[in-house]
Amino acid sequence: MMSAIRDRLITAGILALTISLSGMAQTPQATGVPDITGSWERARDASIPPAAQPSLKPQYQKEWQAKNQAAREASAKGTPLADRATMCLPEGMPAMMGATFPLEILQSKGQVTIIEEAFTQVRRILLDQPQKPIDEVEPGFYGHSVGKWEGNTLVVDTVGVRENVVFQNAPHSADMRIKERISLGANGILRDEITIEDPATLEKPWIVTFGYRRIPNYTLLEYVCEDNREFAGDNGQQKFRIDAPDKPGK
Amino acid sequence: MLIKKRSTGGSLCLAVIILITAAAAEAHHSFAMYDHTRTLTLKGTVTKFQWTNPHAYLELDVKDAKGAVKHYTLEGTSINMMQRIGWRSNMIKFGDSVKAVMAPATSGEPVGLLLEVTLANGETKPLGVPASDTFKRTPEQEQKP
Repeated sequence: MMSAIRDRLITAGILALTISLSGMAQTPQATGVPDITGSWERARDASIPPAAQPSLKPQYQKEWQAKNQAAREASAKGTPLADRATMCLPEGMPAMMGATFPLEILQSKGQVTIIEEAFTQVRRILLDQPQKPIDEVEPGFYGHSVGKWEGNTLVVDTVGVRENVVFQNAPHSADMRIKERISLGANGILRDEITIEDPATLEKPWIVTFGYRRIPNYTLLEYVCEDNREFAGDNGQQKFRIDAPDKPGK
Repeated sequence: MLIKKRSTGGSLCLAVIILITAAAAEAHHSFAMYDHTRTLTLKGTVTKFQWTNPHAYLELDVKDAKGAVKHYTLEGTSINMMQRIGWRSNMIKFGDSVKAVMAPATSGEPVGLLLEVTLANGETKPLGVPASDTFKRTPEQEQKP
C-alpha cells in the first residue's frame, strides 16, 4: 500500500519535472527565433559600416572636442589623464557592446542576457514587456532594456543610463534612449545596429553598428578589477603606485 | 622647405598613430605613460608575479655590473588576454631568473610596460600588449638604462 502511494508520488514528480523541463526547453529554433546563444567576439567585417561620430549640439560638440584634445595631448606627452577605466569602473551601455573582450549571449524564457567578459558586465533584455517611463527607472550603468523579436531581428529599447556613463566620452542627458536591432546575417556575422537618441545633446540620432563572430568552444573567463596600480592623481593625471618589494620567502 | 614639409608629415603621421592607439585603448587602461621610443631588456630575479586584473604585475630585482640591486615593477596586460594567448599563473614563480623586455615609464621611475618575458625554461612569451608594434624596440647592445 505504502509502496504504491510512493510509486504514484514518484510518477507524479517525474511528470511535473518533465512538464517544467519541456517548458524551459522552448528552444530558439522551435519558435523561429535565431539561435544567438554562445560566445562572440568583435568582428571587423565588410558588412559592418565604419564607426560614426556623434552629431552633438554646438555647445556640447565644443566641450567634447576640447576634452578629447586635452586627453590626446596628455597621452602624447606620456602623461595620460586618468579616466573611468583608471578607477576600474565598467563601461556600461552602450560602450560594453563594443566588446573589447568577448561577449556571451544567453537566450532563456522571457530574457536575453548579454555578458561582456571585461568587468563581468551583465545586461538583461526583458522580452515582450512594455518599457517603463524613464523617470521610473533608477539610473544605472546598463539601464532598463526591453526587447522583442521582429522576425529574425531582436529589437531592443534601453533607458535609464546614468549621465556619467558615457560612450566615446560624449555627453548625454538622463533622457537618452538607446535602440538596437540585433540580427544574425547569412555570413554568420551577428550585428548590433545601435541608435542613440538624445534630443537634448544630439542634433540627430547617433548610429553605431558593431559586428561579432562566434568563438566556438570559448567559455568566458572571470574578470574582477582587483588591483589597478594606476590611479588618478590630484591634477587628474594618471599616476602609478609602486609597492615596496616583497622580502624573500613572502 | 622640403625638410620642413617632411617633418610636418612625420608629426602628422605620429599624431594619427597616437589617435588610433588612443581609440583602440579607450575602453581599457592607457599605456601612454610608457616611452614608445625605446625598450630596456632586464635580466633579474622575480620577487613577485601578481596575477590580477586589470593587469598582471611582475616585480624584478636586477643586479647591475657592480652587484647593486635595483628593483623594477613591470606592468603586464589583462590576465584574460594573457590566458587567451597561452599564459598561466604558474609560469613565473618567486625566485625565477627571467629576461624581460619593457618600455620604460616616461616618469623615470623604475617602472615599465612588460612587452615580453623569457621564462626560466628559456621560452619567450609576448604579453599581448595592444598595438605593441607602436613600442619601438631598442637592440640590447644599444640600450641605456
